[in-house]
Amino acid sequence: MQLKTSFLVALVLSAIGLVSWELYWRSQGYEPTLDDNKHLWAVERDKVNSLTENDVVLTGSSRVLFDIQLDEFEKVTGIRPIQLASAGSSPLPIFHDIVEHTDFNGTVIVGVTPPLFFSTTFPQAGPWRRPQLRVDHYHKRTYANRVNHWLSIPLQENLVMMSGHEEEADENIDLKGLLRRIKLAERTGKPQYPPFFEFGTIDIDRNTRMTERTATDTAFANVITNAWKFIITSDGPPPDVEGTTKFFAADAKKFMERGGNLILVRPPSSGMFKGGESKFFPRDKLYDELVKITGAKSYHYEDYDELKDMVCPEWSHLSAEDADIYTRVLAQEMIKDNALTKPTN
Amino acid sequence: MLFNSLSFIVFLAIVLVLYYAKLFNWTNKKRMLLLASYLFYAMWNPPLVILLWISTIVDYTAGKKLAVLENQRQRKMWLLLSMFVNLGFLAFFKYGDFLLENFVTALNAVGMDFQAQPMDIILPMGISFYTFQTMSYTIDMYKRKIEPARTFLDFALYVTFFPQLVAGPIVRAKELITQFYEEKKATTQQFLWGTFLLTIGLFQKIVLADTLLAGTSDDVFGSRTILHGLDAWTGTLAFSGQIFFDFAGYSTCAIGIALMLGIILPDNFRYPYAAIGFSDLWRRWHISLSTWLRDYLYIPLGGNRHGITRMYAALMITMLLGGLWHGAAWTFVIWGALHGIYLVVERLLRNKIHIKINAWNGILLALLTYTCVNITWVFFRAREFETAKNMLASMFGLNDGAKILQSFDIIKVFTVITILFICHWVMRNTSMKAVSLKTPPVVLGIVWAILFVLICIAQGSGEQFIYFQF
Repeated sequence: MQLKTSFLVALVLSAIGLVSWELYWRSQGYEPTLDDNKHLWAVERDKVNSLTENDVVLTGSSRVLFDIQLDEFEKVTGIRPIQLASAGSSPLPIFHDIVEHTDFNGTVIVGVTPPLFFSTTFPQAGPWRRPQLRVDHYHKRTYANRVNHWLSIPLQENLVMMSGHEEEADENIDLKGLLRRIKLAERTGKPQYPPFFEFGTIDIDRNTRMTERTATDTAFANVITNAWKFIITSDGPPPDVEGTTKFFAADAKKFMERGGNLILVRPPSSGMFKGGESKFFPRDKLYDELVKITGAKSYHYEDYDELKDMVCPEWSHLSAEDADIYTRVLAQEMIKDNALTKPTN
Repeated sequence: MLFNSLSFIVFLAIVLVLYYAKLFNWTNKKRMLLLASYLFYAMWNPPLVILLWISTIVDYTAGKKLAVLENQRQRKMWLLLSMFVNLGFLAFFKYGDFLLENFVTALNAVGMDFQAQPMDIILPMGISFYTFQTMSYTIDMYKRKIEPARTFLDFALYVTFFPQLVAGPIVRAKELITQFYEEKKATTQQFLWGTFLLTIGLFQKIVLADTLLAGTSDDVFGSRTILHGLDAWTGTLAFSGQIFFDFAGYSTCAIGIALMLGIILPDNFRYPYAAIGFSDLWRRWHISLSTWLRDYLYIPLGGNRHGITRMYAALMITMLLGGLWHGAAWTFVIWGALHGIYLVVERLLRNKIHIKINAWNGILLALLTYTCVNITWVFFRAREFETAKNMLASMFGLNDGAKILQSFDIIKVFTVITILFICHWVMRNTSMKAVSLKTPPVVLGIVWAILFVLICIAQGSGEQFIYFQF
């Protein structure tokens, strides 16, 4: 057996194959990006254990992820927050984890996206299960998980073919993602999820910015709004306003009793989202009530002239430039109100 | 640490450099391998390395005593101590919650109102493998079948050798310890063949099991609805392929990695889905476990030496315990029981029906065997009896349930499984090595490159091997 020959042939062909694969996807407009996966989240979560009372932690859904820019926040306040928001998630499981499994008593800014915040406390429901999986992963991650993540970062940052996504997005170019693109005869009789693409990029400390294309290419933004439309109009369980409010209020009480500083923020939305949220999640009955029950400080975008007319290109998140403005205004207001300072008992 | 992870690639590269650099003599190389093996295990959960140490110390001491003691009673006590420690670990860590749960159920069944807090015990990775391996050493020592390990280092490395530590093959002492006595160095051919096997194993795991089959199997067995027959069959076939590629992939990686170090591990799979009948299946599937169960359970229970009834009883007990070895749940016991029944029925039929196997009836009998195996996989994969019952009802046309799979998923699974079955049939009387020898080197290189590129493209999310939990 001439294995040396076989090995050399394999080596050369593999190199040619992989370089061609990388170049092909780059020619299609793909760029290397980090994946917002559970490993990246866990690294940030771990930092909470060593924070002081002067630090700030952000949590919430994707609106906090896109709309609060860490650099801008740091410029205004001098504090670089820890970003723990999770896309498509209720903030309740992550806030619960901070309350129950850390001693952190600094500032936690919780983003309220009403359809997600007031959705559920049922562990198997998507908005709960998704962040809970991240929390569970953080508590169970092995040393091997940590090393794998650490080793994967340079690969993700430099190679398009290694920039796979944990979430099932339609632009995924791993083998599973490519196979998922093949559509034959539909046989389940269920409505099919429309195409969905990532529309932001994330940094090593999870600072997330909307891509230029999403902000400027209306056709692309419409692809995303179609996906939102599908979610909004799909049959789903009714929101559990009472259950979620009660659950969060209990954690908020515990957090504030140990000296924690809780701030609720409601980032902007547009289009069908804004209409649906105003109709089905009226501010006075839900958000304002939540603020009253918890006694938390509150920043609702509708209360600020600079923010209330902001437009989200795909209805739910701000463009990178607008996110900078939103963060700047928000942080300045917080400084003005002395909101980042803990209440003196 | 998982073979299909970046950390393992770095780990293996460092181990190979240290192993082949002229820094150490053979004893120090073995020490390095032992330390690397502990690191390999500790990267998952460091405190559980202590269990490995206890098992190593107890069995090494027991082995030494068994080698010198003549008093039969004392020898038996040392054997029992080894069994007690190893089976005790298994009973506590693997079956603790299961035993408690059944104890509570039994008390409740007789009218006693008793509730217990679940113990939530961590299952140490690969505990079933290394305890069986060390027990085989002590039992063989007791039976004076082997010589004791020459040094503690050789024995510790036998227990902990990282390529096969967490999911086998379960290697007997005489097959592995003796290889550690003299310096081992892979020839270029061995090293490259080991690399090729590692590529094949990773391809089986990352591309075939995780990318092509796992999703469909998870969707079907995770569904809470009653399924359409085609969906149920697709999910079951997907799992049959997934578990084979997952486990055979691990074994192939293990054999390949060991070979890169110049150590030879035995085959664990020989194209099992081409088996004609169930005795043949168990000579081809997880060979190191089935031979272990044969030598240390079936034969001591009497084997075929004490008449038909005793033989069938021994067979059933062996398969029931074999099922339980795979997991602490009654579904695994049923899986074992079905295999036991298949073996008993096969032996009964063999006495009455004599078929001369040729290519035509052979493939039909292999297909029949594979179909029966699939029925057992339903119990193996289902977490609850209700799921298994619904799945089987759907598979046998008793349900007209929901269609949850898309057409492409069904075509994908049937294509992969058909190719798998044909490959097993074609390969059933040969080996990969024999086929590779007949293949032109350039063609082999092209195949190798395709496998490697597909592994890279599949990326993989570092999914754990199924058998780690056993």
